[in-house]
Amino acid sequence: MFRFIVRRLLVTVPMVLVVITLTWALIRLAPGNFYASERKLPPAIEKNIRTKYGLDQPWYVQYGRVMRNIMTLDFGNSLRYESETVNDVLKRTVPVSAAVGICAYLLALLVGTTMGTLAALKQNSKLDYAAMGLSMLGISMPNFVLGPLLVLVFSLSLYWLPPARWGGFPSRSIVLPVLTLSAIYMAYIARLTRAGMLEVLRSDYIRTARAKGLTERQVVLRHALRGGLLPVVSFTGPALAILITGTVVVERIFALPGLGTYFINANLNRDEPLILGIVAFTSILVLVFNLIVDIAYGFIDPRIRY
Amino acid sequence: MTARKTTRILTFVFVAASLLAACGPPVQKSEFFGKVEPPPGQTLRYITGSEPESLDPAMSSGQPEARIDVALYEGLVEYHPKTMEPIPGVAESWKVNGNASEFVFFLRHNAKFSNGDPITARDFVYSFKRGLRPELASRVAFLAWEIKDAEAYNTGGAFVRDPKTGRFVLASEAEESGGGGAAEQTTAAATGEDAAPDTEFHRRMHQPNRLFVPTDEKERAKAFKANPKLAALVEGKELVPATADDVGVEAVDDYTLRITLRQPAPYFMGLVQHQFFRVVHEKTVEKYGVNWTKPGNIVCSGTHMLAEHKPYNELVVVKNPYYWDAAQVKLDKIVFYPLDDQTTMMNLYKAGEVDATYNHTVPSAWLRAGLRQASDYMDAPENGSVYWQINTTAPPMNDKRVRKAFAMAIDRDALEKFRVVSKANNVFVPSGILHGYPSPKGYDLDIEGAKKLLADAGYKDASGKFDASKFPATSVEVIYNTNESNRQVAEFIQAQWKQNLGLTIGLRAIEWKTFLSTRAKLEYKGFAGGAGWSGDYMDPYTYLGLFATEGGDNGTGWYDPKFVDMLNAANREPDQAKRYAMLSKAEEYLLDNAPIIPLTKPATSWMKKPYVKGMYPNAATLHAWKFVYIEHDPAKWDRGMPDMTTDQLAEVKE
Repeated sequence: MFRFIVRRLLVTVPMVLVVITLTWALIRLAPGNFYASERKLPPAIEKNIRTKYGLDQPWYVQYGRVMRNIMTLDFGNSLRYESETVNDVLKRTVPVSAAVGICAYLLALLVGTTMGTLAALKQNSKLDYAAMGLSMLGISMPNFVLGPLLVLVFSLSLYWLPPARWGGFPSRSIVLPVLTLSAIYMAYIARLTRAGMLEVLRSDYIRTARAKGLTERQVVLRHALRGGLLPVVSFTGPALAILITGTVVVERIFALPGLGTYFINANLNRDEPLILGIVAFTSILVLVFNLIVDIAYGFIDPRIRY
Repeated sequence: MTARKTTRILTFVFVAASLLAACGPPVQKSEFFGKVEPPPGQTLRYITGSEPESLDPAMSSGQPEARIDVALYEGLVEYHPKTMEPIPGVAESWKVNGNASEFVFFLRHNAKFSNGDPITARDFVYSFKRGLRPELASRVAFLAWEIKDAEAYNTGGAFVRDPKTGRFVLASEAEESGGGGAAEQTTAAATGEDAAPDTEFHRRMHQPNRLFVPTDEKERAKAFKANPKLAALVEGKELVPATADDVGVEAVDDYTLRITLRQPAPYFMGLVQHQFFRVVHEKTVEKYGVNWTKPGNIVCSGTHMLAEHKPYNELVVVKNPYYWDAAQVKLDKIVFYPLDDQTTMMNLYKAGEVDATYNHTVPSAWLRAGLRQASDYMDAPENGSVYWQINTTAPPMNDKRVRKAFAMAIDRDALEKFRVVSKANNVFVPSGILHGYPSPKGYDLDIEGAKKLLADAGYKDASGKFDASKFPATSVEVIYNTNESNRQVAEFIQAQWKQNLGLTIGLRAIEWKTFLSTRAKLEYKGFAGGAGWSGDYMDPYTYLGLFATEGGDNGTGWYDPKFVDMLNAANREPDQAKRYAMLSKAEEYLLDNAPIIPLTKPATSWMKKPYVKGMYPNAATLHAWKFVYIEHDPAKWDRGMPDMTTDQLAEVKE
């Protein structure tokens, strides 16, 4: 187990570097730059800017600087927001995105597994159809439709909740983004749970458990769920990483100052240090979460051993 | 099966209903849009656009920053809340010399920074020169290039001196045409009456403009290549790098600031309103470097000072107790919300969570659905002009009668109705927004007149009447850069010409970068659509100056020395009314030659709750915050757009 973790962690480093290099190259290839606006700048002004930010140096010098920054985990200052360091931005935005993301995921997990389990236990009943119908709706309705709908009902018609903006955590302003964000995950988890449970419920060890004379409650909670939830667990890793690093659409609809907002704007602004910082953070997070998921497998499913 | 079917049907009905609800028009029942409940006290919640790039006034170029900078920093002059003309700021008054090449500002003695330090002329000298530092690399520093030798300093230039005689090479010597226009003008300035005592520096400023070349060797080689005469002039001479001391700003005494320009520029007063020229606190800037604008470090000079800044969330400013006119400032607090998404803004506005928004924030679909009639919709013309360019170098468009005919055969009022967020504009300089500028007679819809002009140009039948079949309609086309609204306008005008003249002109959409180069190289035949110009400052010259050069943003091939002379003559005229009349004549001349077809000017298109008073739909959507306040008495609320006539400025005390 320990060797497995070390090996995986070692692989993570070169992978992050590859991702950063590719990102850096793509930024270079994209037309435009951080200082461009609608009107053409006088060439002399452009030269001042390029000198100030070292853009006049050869590419390998610039690449070397990027790599050094990554190694020391200090990404420098944003180009667009000069007085902010990338690390400041991460420190400020990650909690916002994480608060919304984790709340949404917990809600999705709670509702999704309950719905999925019930649907699997009562397969082909009205309850099953209703649950799966709802989850189909959740999967097919994009959050840029669901978000405005919720706003329309709860903010603009009923005036119960604010239609947008961040009011800190916890506050009323978090309700609509969490609902919007969780819908699709809720739906996925419900379907995954149902499929997983159906498979497990038909397996031999469940039959054995039943034969031993355990109550249905014990069979489901102690034995079936452990196996039935495996697909959900493997889904959780990447999903949680994505949720924590911000969801662009929901953050935009609700004007949340999260990582997603910064990421999209950093791209539009060609803000190289900020893009690289966020990409590095995201990729590390995804890799680490995947690792955690793999480790969790070992605990949940006794059949898996490293 | 039936259960599944029912679920499906229910799902479908739910989705359809919710989609319909989402797309449906915002229902207009009341006079105003959404909740109307003033916040307690004097707090304004305002949406200002994107997250400000920087709170350093020398560094930011955009309007979102400008609106915040107006609160945080004061300049020599401030924007008039309605007309945008310069009104006294830190400068109580100012004097301009005879040919508008030297501006002397007399500063008030009671102006203070937000830490209580007095604001003096030296602070302005510092602020300007700091903004021009090459290593600061300000994107907007070129706004100050009109100041003598500012460009040389800002771009890392060096003057050229003869080591033997110590004499500097003059800019006029390097001019390819051999003319010494600029030098002449600056020398002439010395003869103007002096508003402040003469000094050594002042005399130096009235020497003719010196030549400067890039200090950087590579750049210099490039410059020599472009102008071979330069190389000969620099040969055997020494280079003297330009420094901040060369820049033409001088603190004559603590409260007198003198700015000498490199050439006459009557529009300089409009430039000096820009945030770049607002005053910053030297000690703070030097102490904290790039972090000087952070809350806790920052020292402000405006009506308000920074209290809190949570990027992408909110920026809070509170009243500055040391502001010289603090008695006039009513808003205790302004909360700026940085937001980009129109729908989100409108939702916040409707829910009563914000009190006003910035310009172009109302989605046009909402306007068509009825929002345009709401009493809190601000619909006024802006300092911008949308026009089509004509390639005047190729037939049949090289005939000005033909060009005018096309310009006359468009119903601009119909275009305004169709576009919703634009106003008809039949002249080049947007009419009705520059206070005191008499717009010339523009192009009105005149189908018969247009046909007559075309017939005169030779496209006629035997009876001498215009004959559409004689016109080579296939040898012209309209190119426009790919964009939905450009396409709509192009199709609208295509239909107008077809209907009014019987001519079908083809349309072609081109990608933006390609469009720019095609237009600049005059590789298009006929018309180039999609051009727009938003004024850099409140003066007709910001528009007319586009046609004072052949290159740049001209794009029509029309260049007429007579027009340029008219502009130059106007710019030497110190009397504003006379100068405007002269510029108007120049514009008339331009329209008579018709290198462009003016179409519309943008509309302000923003929302303001009726209880927000002293905030006007002015032409640049920049608000001098000291005039804005929250009115708690519903009887005094604005119903409809506030009165924009300047004699109704009861609440505006200058």
